[in-house]
Amino acid sequence: MTPFEIGIASVILIVVMIYAGLYIPVALGLVSFLGVWIIRDNIEIAINMLALAAADTVSHQVFATVPLFAMMGLIVSKAGLGNDVYKVANFVFYKVRGGLGIATVAANAVFAAITGSSIASASVFARVSVPEMRKFGYTTRFSVGVVAGSSVLGMIIPPSAMLIIYAITADQSVGQLFLAGIIPGVLLAVAFALAIVLMARFWPSFVGGHGIVEIKEGTEDWQNLSWRDVATLMAPIVFLVLVVLGGIYGGIVTPVEAGAAGSLVALLIAIFRRAISWQGFWDCLVETGHITASILFLIVAASMYSRMLGFAGLPTLFQAWLDDQGYGIVALMMIYIPMLLLLGTIIDTASMILIVAPLFLPAIEALGLDLVWFGIVTVIAAEIGLLTPPLGISCFVIKSTLNDPTIKLSDIFAGAFPFAIIMFLVLLAIIEWPQLSLALI
Amino acid sequence: MTDRIEPAPHASGAGLFFDRLVQFLNGIGTIWILAILILINADVFGRNVLHAPINGVIEMIEISMIAIVFLQLADATRVGRLTRSDGFFGLIQRKWPKLGFVMGSVFDLLGALMMFFILYGTWPSLIEAWTLNDYIGNEGVFTAPKWPMIFILILGSFITLLLFVKLAVAQIRAFKEGVPQQ
Repeated sequence: MTPFEIGIASVILIVVMIYAGLYIPVALGLVSFLGVWIIRDNIEIAINMLALAAADTVSHQVFATVPLFAMMGLIVSKAGLGNDVYKVANFVFYKVRGGLGIATVAANAVFAAITGSSIASASVFARVSVPEMRKFGYTTRFSVGVVAGSSVLGMIIPPSAMLIIYAITADQSVGQLFLAGIIPGVLLAVAFALAIVLMARFWPSFVGGHGIVEIKEGTEDWQNLSWRDVATLMAPIVFLVLVVLGGIYGGIVTPVEAGAAGSLVALLIAIFRRAISWQGFWDCLVETGHITASILFLIVAASMYSRMLGFAGLPTLFQAWLDDQGYGIVALMMIYIPMLLLLGTIIDTASMILIVAPLFLPAIEALGLDLVWFGIVTVIAAEIGLLTPPLGISCFVIKSTLNDPTIKLSDIFAGAFPFAIIMFLVLLAIIEWPQLSLALI
Repeated sequence: MTDRIEPAPHASGAGLFFDRLVQFLNGIGTIWILAILILINADVFGRNVLHAPINGVIEMIEISMIAIVFLQLADATRVGRLTRSDGFFGLIQRKWPKLGFVMGSVFDLLGALMMFFILYGTWPSLIEAWTLNDYIGNEGVFTAPKWPMIFILILGSFITLLLFVKLAVAQIRAFKEGVPQQ
C-alpha cells in the first residue's frame, strides 16, 4: 500500500470506529498511530508522534480561550441574563404575529454575543421560552423548533467555541474569526425572524399562536415593562458585549484576555445579583474543567490525526488531484458541504471540524480563497448537524432540559427542520458573497 | 445524549480511594483555571491602568494549559464527558446489553492503550528535562523548569489509563454476572 492509500484507509477507519461508538479522541489517536507505524514501518516514530502531539499541541496561549469563554457562558447562564433578554425581547415583539417566536430568536442572538455555546443557549431557552410560547397557543413543534433553530446562533455569533476550534485548526486569528462571525450571525437571525413572520402568515397550522388575544390582558410581567426596566435589564449584557467584542475590536485586549475579563465581569454581575453561591461558583469551575479537558484532549488527538495526514501526504495530494481535475471552488464546495452535512448527522461539531477541515485547507489556500471565510462556511455547515436527526445535539439538549414525556424527540426534529433549511440557504449566500463574512475584518 | 447503561457499581475501598484521587486531581486543575483567570485579569488591569504589566503571563498560560488538561482528563472520562458518538452504541446497549458490555470494555481498553503509548513516549523527555534542567521562557524575563509539566502529563496519562482499565473491568464483570435489571 502507498502512504496515500494508508492515509485514506485511516480516515475511513476513524469514521467507522467513531460510528461504532469508540471515544472520538481515542479513535483519532490510535488509528493515526497505526497509520504512521505502517507508513514508516517504524513503531518508535509512531510513538514519538503521539508523545509530541500530547506535549506540544496545547502549549499555546490561544488554548486558554476554551476554558475562559466556557466559564463566561456558564456564569452568564447562572446569572439569569438569558431570562432578562427574553423578557425584553417579548416586550418588544409580542404584538407581532409569531412575536414570541421572533422574540426567542432575538433573545438568542443577543445571548449568543455573551456565550460561546449552542448547548448553553438551547438549555437556557428551552426552560424559559418553550413554556411561555405554549401558554400562548403556539404549537409544541414550533416552540421547540424555534428554540433548537435559534440555539445555533450561539456558536456563530462571537464569542464562539467552534470559531476558536477552527481558528486553532487552520492557524488563523481567533479575533478575526470572531469579527467575521458577526454579520453571518445577524443575517441568520434576521432570516429566522422573517421566516417566522412568513410561516405565521402562510402556515398557521404549524406555528399556532392563536392565543394572541390573551396576551392583551396584560398578565405577564414582560408586558408591563417600562423603557427604564428595559434599560436596567439590558445594561449588564450590553456592558459584557462591550468588554468582550469591543475590547477585541478596539485592539485593547487579545481574545484570551477578553475571555478572562468577560468571565470576571460576568462573575461580578452574578455576585451583585446574588445569583451565585460558593457552591454554584465551584460547580461552574468544575464544569469548565470538564469542558476544557474534553475539548482540548480532542484537539490533542486531532493534532495526532493531522500529523498522520502529513505523513501520508493526503491533503497535498488531494489538492493536486483537485488541480488536475481542473476543479474550482464550486466543485470543492459540492464535495465539502455534503460531507459535513452527512457527518453532522452523527458526529459532534467540534470533532467534525477537526477531522474534515485539515483535509481541505491546502486546497482552499491553493485556490486563493480566504481561510477566515472558509471558517465561517465550515462552522455554519457543521452546525446544521445540530438540528438534523439522528443525533442533532441541540435537539437532545432541549429534550433532556424539558424532561416532558409528551414532547417527543421527533417533534423537536420536525420543528427544527424549517430552520435547518434556512441555515442552508444562508450558508449558500455566505459562500456566494464572501464579503458577508469578511467585511468587518 | 442518551443515558449510558452503567454496570452495577462494585464499591470497594480501593475503588473509592481511586475515585477520590481522580476528583482530587480534577480539583487542582479547577483551582488552576481560577488562578489563570485571576492572573490574566491582573495583567490586563496592571498594563492598562497601572502601566505595570506582569512578566511571563503568556508563558505561564502556555505551561498551564497542558497541566489543566491532564489533571482533569481522568475525571472528565469518569463522568462520561470524553467525546463519543453514542447513537449506534446506545442502541446496541439497549437491545443487546451483553454485546454492549463487550464493545464498551474493548473501547475502554483501547483508551488505556492510547494512554500507555503517550506515557511510554513521554517518559524519556521527563528524564531528559530533569537531568538537563530544561526550562521554558526567555532567560532574564521569565523562566520555569520544564519537568513539572511533563511530570503532570505523565501522572495524568497514568491515572486516566487506570481509569479506563477500571471502566473496562466493571463492564467485563457486568457481562459475566448478567445484566442488572434497569
